[in-house]
Amino acid sequence: MEAFEVSNGVMIYYLPQELDHFAADRIKRKTESCFKDGDIKHLIFDFDKTNFMDSSGIGLITGRYRKVHDAGGQVYVININANIDKILTMSGIYRIVKKKSSKEEIIKEMLKGGYYE
Amino acid sequence: MNNTSEMMVEFSGEAQNESFARMVVAAFITRTNPTLEEVSDIKTAVSEAVTNSIIHGYEKSSGMISIRTRVDGRMVYIEVKDTGKGIEDIKKAMEPLYTSKPQEDRSGMGFSFMEAFMDGLTVESECGVGTIVKMWKEIGVSKHQFD
Repeated sequence: MEAFEVSNGVMIYYLPQELDHFAADRIKRKTESCFKDGDIKHLIFDFDKTNFMDSSGIGLITGRYRKVHDAGGQVYVININANIDKILTMSGIYRIVKKKSSKEEIIKEMLKGGYYE
Repeated sequence: MNNTSEMMVEFSGEAQNESFARMVVAAFITRTNPTLEEVSDIKTAVSEAVTNSIIHGYEKSSGMISIRTRVDGRMVYIEVKDTGKGIEDIKKAMEPLYTSKPQEDRSGMGFSFMEAFMDGLTVESECGVGTIVKMWKEIGVSKHQFD
């Protein structure tokens, strides 16, 4: 079962092994209830455990992107394997979300950008 | 290897059965000796078709979905059938990024993914009767086969 962490306005969502319609609906509900509080700016989807994904996952990411982007935040995806990369590339989603190797790389970038000042 | 074999499975159209559906097809086609990438492609295509039946075919109602899979040599044929409300305009439904449910975070990429991951597909649908998606793929022609 996946989980998430929120710190310094950044939510990291640890995605499950299989990101399909069934999983996407559940994750949507979980993230929505957290976003209501309004203290999340950036969102990171961690695909480390994920080995299956279909277009429901794309719908989940673009839906969350709209909310995060409207509030001036950024959506990142990390730990992408070859299977998942094929789907993400095909969907064209890399035009709106940033692919990074790890959480550390994102934090480094945020520090450089002065986000933590 | 030149044998023909067939299987059929039927299950209720609930989201939690999506993973069962793609697993059972993936298990059946292992006899064609597919690459991991080919298995992944087929699982995604099956998942898209089954998700469509659940979300659009049955919407808030319920019903059964059947999947028939046939292996003939290196060819895999998959049929996903529901007896839901049917598709009014198939051509429109298959347009990339078109979705009748944007408010539910649907990407509108289901049919595009099926087309991309399989060698071909046909859609037969009748309003109030149901929908049959037929897809096929030849195994062993992807460029990673002999890596």
